Amino acid sequence: MGDVLGVDHLSDLPQSIIECILTRLPIRDAIRTSILSRRWRYKWTTLTQLVFDDDCVAMSNDGIYEDLIYFITHVLFLHEGPIHKFHLSATYLQNTPDLDQWLLFLSRKGIRELIIELGDGEWFRVHSCLFNCSKLTLLELYRCELDPPPTFKGFLCLKSLKLHQVLIAPEDIESLISNCPLLESLALSYFDSLVLNICAPNLKYLYLEGEFRDICLQNTPLLVSISVALYMNDESEPFGDLSDCNYEKFLGGVPYLEKLTGHVYFTKYLSIGNSARKMPISYIYLKSIELHQVSFEDMNEILVVLRLITSSPNLEELQISGSSNPVAASEAPDLDFWENECPSNLTFGKLRVVKATDMSGVPHEMEFIKYLLRNCPVLEIMSIRPCVYVTDRRLNMLIELLKFRRASPEAEILFIQE
Amino acid sequence: MSESAMAVVKPEMKSYIWLQTADGSIQQVEEEVAMFCPMICREILQTGMGSSKNYAISLPQRVNPAILGLILDYCRFHQVPGRSNKERKTFDEKFIRMDTKKLCELTSAADSLQLKPLVDLTSRALARIIEGKTPEEIRETFHLPDDLTEEEKLEPLRNITDDPRIRLLNRLYARKRKELREREKLKNVEIEERVDDRSVDDLLSFINGGDGDSKAVKTNKNKKKNRRRKDQQKDSSSTTNENGNHDKIEELDALPSCCQNNEFNQILGASPSRTVKSQDSAAAMYSSKIEFDDADIYDDLDPAMKEELDREVEDFARRLNSDWPERVQEILSLGQERNLVTVLTGNGSSPRFTKQVLIGGSSLPVGVQR
Repeated sequence: MGDVLGVDHLSDLPQSIIECILTRLPIRDAIRTSILSRRWRYKWTTLTQLVFDDDCVAMSNDGIYEDLIYFITHVLFLHEGPIHKFHLSATYLQNTPDLDQWLLFLSRKGIRELIIELGDGEWFRVHSCLFNCSKLTLLELYRCELDPPPTFKGFLCLKSLKLHQVLIAPEDIESLISNCPLLESLALSYFDSLVLNICAPNLKYLYLEGEFRDICLQNTPLLVSISVALYMNDESEPFGDLSDCNYEKFLGGVPYLEKLTGHVYFTKYLSIGNSARKMPISYIYLKSIELHQVSFEDMNEILVVLRLITSSPNLEELQISGSSNPVAASEAPDLDFWENECPSNLTFGKLRVVKATDMSGVPHEMEFIKYLLRNCPVLEIMSIRPCVYVTDRRLNMLIELLKFRRASPEAEILFIQE
Repeated sequence: MSESAMAVVKPEMKSYIWLQTADGSIQQVEEEVAMFCPMICREILQTGMGSSKNYAISLPQRVNPAILGLILDYCRFHQVPGRSNKERKTFDEKFIRMDTKKLCELTSAADSLQLKPLVDLTSRALARIIEGKTPEEIRETFHLPDDLTEEEKLEPLRNITDDPRIRLLNRLYARKRKELREREKLKNVEIEERVDDRSVDDLLSFINGGDGDSKAVKTNKNKKKNRRRKDQQKDSSSTTNENGNHDKIEELDALPSCCQNNEFNQILGASPSRTVKSQDSAAAMYSSKIEFDDADIYDDLDPAMKEELDREVEDFARRLNSDWPERVQEILSLGQERNLVTVLTGNGSSPRFTKQVLIGGSSLPVGVQR
């Protein structure tokens, strides 16, 4: 029995702290506390946060699926009081009718944060009672089908929405977004061939990934961070409407932007319709730009990069990765472009770190690096990582790099080879 | 009030705040350190207290002087601006290295001072202590009373996790209860006190061709079983005869695991001397030598099925010993305790022992799950 004189300090803690402790335990351990002593019997039952995963049930050769369903159903059955957070990510779980019952149960328990991620396989159709969860502040759904009823008026408290591989009609996703007036964070991934207009006056964080055909940030004045990965669809339809300027549609109304990340075809997308007579837009808060797979053989893409960095007077960090076709790009007919188009008196007064990766050493890449070195007076680090497939040109790249003038006496040039 | 608030805001010379703990002791604390606790901060701003010894801020009951010292250490470190996250983390890790009693007190005190980051830190530390421990270890670490019965402890497990091991354990319990009950019935027959208290299970077993009075001729297996029963009778009947009041059975639910073990030991140590079995006999106890007879459920099963079930139980027994040591320890320690009692009391006139045997006479609900 141990120390008879020992006082049970743990059980004397206020329930709020005990909940605090139980919340930090895996749910299996939390429930096991019910066999500790009489006072602990039902302490776990009022937990407001329930997190389920594959580890909830003992590993056995088969039956994990049933065990998990049984486990969750019973936990909910024994639970008492409101449930604020329900997080289920279980790869062993597939679409099951029990899910509808759980959702219905949760919708009556004042659920605020709901995360459901089942295993691969058949996608589940979310029960319409989801749309009655009026207190939701966070919703994350994976691999499911969403069909908001016509009477749905939006989640008035929702601040964070993440949909990953979710089937939903284009007009429904747009109205879902615009009907959540407090929405601050939006992440959509694996959306296909979608033309998306985003109206979210309080949106701060945006993450998009998929085969979007066209995106318009119609009303997102408070955006702080944007991360976009665009994939080409099979028919290789051109992005957007060629008569529009994608750059202005996408980046025209985000004056508070602090961080911009573009993957895959994002730079190409922005380059479409990017005209010479451009509207002056300035991003005075933008500190970090990351652009991946920029084709330096395409003058339009180079122009997008230049337009972005010249419109961001407070830029501190720039990351660029190339995806040049060395054969096509080594032709480089318009090299005098750098002399003629780029104002040599313009300086990037705050830019401290430049990271260039996947560089093939083609003329326009080298000119770009030269341009930055010449015009960044406070540059600290310029790191260059050559593309793994380019081996023969590395020495030439280095010789060329040595020639470039540097505006910053502090600048360190790192040439990184694995 | 606004004046005092002004005074607080103004960065003058080093100013101090007076704090009084529940035991009456008063101490002086640097203002910026004390202000780190929201409860103290509010007190200063709203009531203007703390400016002198006579107007010391009285702290909540849960903050004793020793713990206050710890809390102030924490505040003193964290109120300094410009520390890196790594520095803070390292400090926190060292800071929470203390015994669990102190950790509980600290959590409670931090909570009463609304010092949320410290509450988070300490409850995370407590959670880390609890995580992965067996109930026994947790009880020992925190001095929790072990005041639940075996049955109660199994209940929630049975209900929630549906662990196959628990299912099997329940099945074992059920068999043992049944066995005890039948044995008791046999005794009742012998001492001519037969009362018709047959439960549904008994009726079922009767319908299934089982023997309410076990004297009926049965298969080979049952003969063997009967022989064994007779042996047991010799051992235990003497103990029951003395104590006949069947009605005064309390804490029935406390018993299944111990009578189970007692049973095993009785069976194994069939010799009249009845030596105390050491713990390592557990495997033997569960081994195939014992035939569990749950007549009502298993007798009419086809042999293959029965074999499979036996194998399952055997397998379970093995697992019980290998990867579920805490439960085994618990059962074993209980069993041993009981055994000692048995040995000490010789003929078993101890009421405790009698109770164990008596349990067989009552018709317990059989909570078999499969």
